Amino acid sequence: MAVGKSQSLFRDKPVKVLLAKPGIDGHDRGMFVLARAFRDAGMDVLYAGLLPTPEEVVDTAVNEDVDVIALSLLNGAHLVVFKKVADLMRSRGIDDIAIVGGGTIPEPDRPKLEKIGVSGNFGPGTPLSVIIEHVTERAAQARKKKMGE
Amino acid sequence: MTSLDISKIVDGILKGDTVSISRAISIVENDLYSDRALEILQKIHPHTGRAHIVGITGPPGVGKSSIIGSLVPILSRKGRRAAIVAIDASSPFTRGSIMGNRIRMQENLTRYGTYMRSLSTRGLSGGLSFSALGTAKILDAAGFDTVILETVGAGQSDLDIMRLAATVVVVLAPGLGDEIQAIKAGLMEIAHLFVINKSDREGSFQSIKDIQDILLTAPQGEWKIPVIGTSTITGDGLEELIQKMDDHSMVNRSGKDRNRLARNELNLIVESELMKLASREMEENDGISEIISQVADGSKDPFSGSRSIIFRITRDIHEEP
Repeated sequence: MAVGKSQSLFRDKPVKVLLAKPGIDGHDRGMFVLARAFRDAGMDVLYAGLLPTPEEVVDTAVNEDVDVIALSLLNGAHLVVFKKVADLMRSRGIDDIAIVGGGTIPEPDRPKLEKIGVSGNFGPGTPLSVIIEHVTERAAQARKKKMGE
Repeated sequence: MTSLDISKIVDGILKGDTVSISRAISIVENDLYSDRALEILQKIHPHTGRAHIVGITGPPGVGKSSIIGSLVPILSRKGRRAAIVAIDASSPFTRGSIMGNRIRMQENLTRYGTYMRSLSTRGLSGGLSFSALGTAKILDAAGFDTVILETVGAGQSDLDIMRLAATVVVVLAPGLGDEIQAIKAGLMEIAHLFVINKSDREGSFQSIKDIQDILLTAPQGEWKIPVIGTSTITGDGLEELIQKMDDHSMVNRSGKDRNRLARNELNLIVESELMKLASREMEENDGISEIISQVADGSKDPFSGSRSIIFRITRDIHEEP
């Protein structure tokens, strides 16, 4: 097949992102805003629905082979729950799906999350473009790893 | 060759390993890696042909995803291994999509360990059929005995499912239309089974009877098309639906039907591949912009313009077989 000139990593298969709020947190308006923004940025967007367990989030991510899991919590449980998701991924031997975070995350917690592999950790008021750019960047790393490049 | 080990992925598929299955589907979905996709599909081919592929289609909002979610525990109780493929519409403008089918069934999926994958149409008419068929083959080779394909909420003319699935279930709900809707061509003709969902609602009996009446006016072959009322709230009719799906899979085993399915598959792949080539050519080839401006300023008619484009596409195929 002839190779086109605008060949890019995501031309034939867009960034695939899973939005999830694992844990007891029903504030999902922000998730809908993000879902819509990611869709409009050309991504395939999955939303895990209300109150999924970390196990359900990881199952979905693996079944769907997403590039990025985007976690959000407003209830303060991020250090426990984000870590649980990261641990489950590690225990299943998966290192080519990126995890990003967001929500009401106090500044001192951000390096702790970074350390367990959860990047971004955007707080309220972050412009959507900043989040989209970060997700795309992490997705590119994950996709390259997945496809052995 | 890169570090992505195709034979390891193929081994994983045959063992039913979820990560390998998921990765293989991603490769088939991604045209950038069409050589690897072909290699996988060739290698698993001897292990395919056992799964019963059931298509579930119907207008948006009739409850296709909810029905599938409710079938999961019943199939699992019967000791069956089912996998689900759901197709979501992409934006024709940005190609992005919201994959919302999963949300109706996630709880059952995790509880019963059922594999489910969402695919998006990506604005390409052909691309989807190819990846849906490839995905079904991978799940077949992985040893799933039933592969359920859910289409986007179909209109009266989205009929590709007829070529992908051995058994087509058309789902409707009460209040969608009268007998005239039911005798229209298209969606209503491709059903091997009719389901009237939301049978707990008023008017469902009438809807079932409308469809049954229309079926009586058409000559029926060896397979009598059933009309089943289901409710995912009460659970009514779901056992019967599985029973009828199984009955129809028996009809499918006949040689004549295998020929029909083979022809459908080939037809679908050829069309898909040509459509993809065409969209690519339209998007990326500089030569096309000249033809477009000629058509735009009226110096060329669109019919001869498209002939020139088709000529370019076929020429490309000859250059790189």
